[in-house]
Amino acid sequence: MGRKTKSFTAALSLLLVMSIVLSACGGGKNESSEGTAEKPVELIWYTIGTPQKDVNKVMEEVSKYTAEKIGVTVKMNMIDWGDYSQKLQVMTASGEAVDIMFTSSWAFDYVQSARKGAFMQIDDLLKEHGQGIMETLDPAFLEGSKIDGHNYGIPANKELPAQEVWRFNKQYVDKYKLDTSSVYTLESLEPLLKTIKENEPDVYPFAVDKNQMPYVPYDYVIEKLPMAVSLDTTDYKIVNVLDTPEMKQILSTMHKYYKAGYIPTEAATMDSMTDVQTTGKWFADRATSQPFADNLWSASYGYPVVSTPASEALIYNWSVMGSMQAISANSKYPEKAMEFLNLLNTDPVLRNMVDSGIEGVHYKKAGDNVMENLDESKNYDMPTFSLGNVMLTYLNTTDPTNKWEEFKKFNDAGVQAPLLGFNFDTSKVTTEIASVNNVKEEYWAALMTGTVDPETYLARANEKFKAAGLDKIMAEAQRQLDEWRAANK
Amino acid sequence: MGAFGRFFKNMNRNAAMLVMVLPATLWFIFFSYLPMAGMIIAFKEYRYSRDGFLASIIESKWVGLQNFKFLFSTNDAYIITRNTVVYNIFFIVLGLVIAVAMAIMLAEITNKRLAKVYQTGMFLPYFLSWVIVGYFVFSFLSLDRGVVNQVAGWFGIDPMNWYSDPTYWPIIIVVVFLWKSVGYNSVIYLAAIMGIDKSLYEAAMIDGANKWQQIRNITLPMLTPLITILTLLAIGKIFYADFGLFYQVPRDSGTLYSVTNVIDTYVYRGLKSTGEIGMSTAAGLYQSLIGFVLVITSNGIVRKFNKDNALF
Repeated sequence: MGRKTKSFTAALSLLLVMSIVLSACGGGKNESSEGTAEKPVELIWYTIGTPQKDVNKVMEEVSKYTAEKIGVTVKMNMIDWGDYSQKLQVMTASGEAVDIMFTSSWAFDYVQSARKGAFMQIDDLLKEHGQGIMETLDPAFLEGSKIDGHNYGIPANKELPAQEVWRFNKQYVDKYKLDTSSVYTLESLEPLLKTIKENEPDVYPFAVDKNQMPYVPYDYVIEKLPMAVSLDTTDYKIVNVLDTPEMKQILSTMHKYYKAGYIPTEAATMDSMTDVQTTGKWFADRATSQPFADNLWSASYGYPVVSTPASEALIYNWSVMGSMQAISANSKYPEKAMEFLNLLNTDPVLRNMVDSGIEGVHYKKAGDNVMENLDESKNYDMPTFSLGNVMLTYLNTTDPTNKWEEFKKFNDAGVQAPLLGFNFDTSKVTTEIASVNNVKEEYWAALMTGTVDPETYLARANEKFKAAGLDKIMAEAQRQLDEWRAANK
Repeated sequence: MGAFGRFFKNMNRNAAMLVMVLPATLWFIFFSYLPMAGMIIAFKEYRYSRDGFLASIIESKWVGLQNFKFLFSTNDAYIITRNTVVYNIFFIVLGLVIAVAMAIMLAEITNKRLAKVYQTGMFLPYFLSWVIVGYFVFSFLSLDRGVVNQVAGWFGIDPMNWYSDPTYWPIIIVVVFLWKSVGYNSVIYLAAIMGIDKSLYEAAMIDGANKWQQIRNITLPMLTPLITILTLLAIGKIFYADFGLFYQVPRDSGTLYSVTNVIDTYVYRGLKSTGEIGMSTAAGLYQSLIGFVLVITSNGIVRKFNKDNALF
């Protein structure tokens, strides 16, 4: 062995020793049974939302309560909306210590992360420590969030179906005495947009940004990839949604609106409409609704907003998985984490503390289950839907008293979308998905906002989708879908 | 005396020097060499294990070159490679010429106070983040409120939708890049010019050389080693694109992808929603491998012509 090889071997062994030392620091092993009121265990909880100033203060109070009840304390870490998916992907991939984390269909993708092994399978935990959840939660939630027959997360009890609505800035509806009740399709919006365009040059008639998804009566296999089945399908055939007559018609209408100046010129590159919503310089847009959503929107924008339906209320995979909490696969205390989630979803005291903060500091009671925000609440303003059972939360003074009954009615009336419960396993087509995602990024926003002419761009997009392997993905999805249907007859 | 004995004797003799390089060495070991072991992720289908990161790597199954396939699976592969390399060639060549020219001009300015002002002005954009530069550009090119379209309006030219027409973007990208980076590079060259022995110029003046001859026969030859080194380093990065430049400045506009899509943005767009770590590692490995080969080759070529100018 020459000298060179020797020093190389030495360097290599040094490298190995160091990596072992480093990894040893990271991996602590399970300690003996703790988790009593005297010796509580700490649960680390990652959830979505703009970090709030008073999180630690509130969690101290929460910990006092939970230590007594189930022997746990809670450390909550909030990560902002835009960063959440990517940060959590990195954290789970590198095996960071997390016990509970927020997951959903639209941020930190639940199905994909579960398939990669980020979450603990909770079938048994749920039976042992989560009876409360099973009692209170609409069974459709747990059923709809199963992956290959197992549960990996606990959906928040909230509205089940998704209903698309047109929202209007009421100020302009009143000013021009517009009739919103006759609006349902995209085309029926035109006379209203026209009025606004002619009379209010400073207002965006139709507030559309790059995330715009026109409503078509199809259920997508993967959000924002153009494969879907028709809502009234009988043969469950997956089609390219860009080839359907409904989509073609909508895209040409959007392009017409764009040329007429109803849509912001920079729509295809605008990340969000938040600035416009703050100033109120918009007339109409589209959103997903829930009962009494008008109240919610009006309160958060500071001016009245009204809405009228744009679709049926349907239960989709993405609406069922809209907000979930999962237990990390490397959690040291999975039982305790499940006990905590059970308490969070059944105990009004805990749930409201997590949601609204400390009574007398952040809010005050104005009735049995009614509360009013105090000034301090600006330091603890949490996204209610993301933190478990919303039906336990106190009502605002402006809410109708029958709010949660209406939610239950809304849930019961929801019709199941065809793909509810089917989750596409993409592991065989990851290469194609990566390529197709690139094509989607190239054409999607420009087409959906009406910025480009669908006559030419639709064909171009379809051609590139084909070249990127969309057909192969669709065939694989069709195969899995057929299998799934055969198994669930 | 064995190899080890000699090694320790050497260590002892150079102790002071070795202590000085220790921090940088440690930095390289921890942040450059240790993580290199992670390269094997490129050949695995990465799945999480409950026992932590290392266990995840070990337990994930081998998939051979599967992860590299998405880089070459469509004809986008040609576009992104072309864009990355051609833009970088322009950046390297134009960046070099303009930065050296600026440095020489700055050195020739006799009013030192003014020279400092120019230098600072050119240097400033280097410190701006691409997000901010992106908004600068947007304020020029916005369809209805942009400066360019408004000025064009005065001359009766129809406003142009810059963010959906790829025609002029290759020029915009190059100009924005140069605007941001030339100041920094010219400061490096300026420092080198300041280090040139003044007596060389005096001797040249006595011999009757004019300014242009002085620059051509003294300044440029004295700068050549530095130019070679910086260019070689830049060539090593020719397969890396500046993500911010190609993502933020065109505002991620889909219609511009034919001229703005580069390897880095392609990888980001393909994998941001799926989070396939194996595939992004594969892309990174591919880039560094090509960069490595290019540096070795170009260094070899430089050595052929002039041994002293080569990196190693």
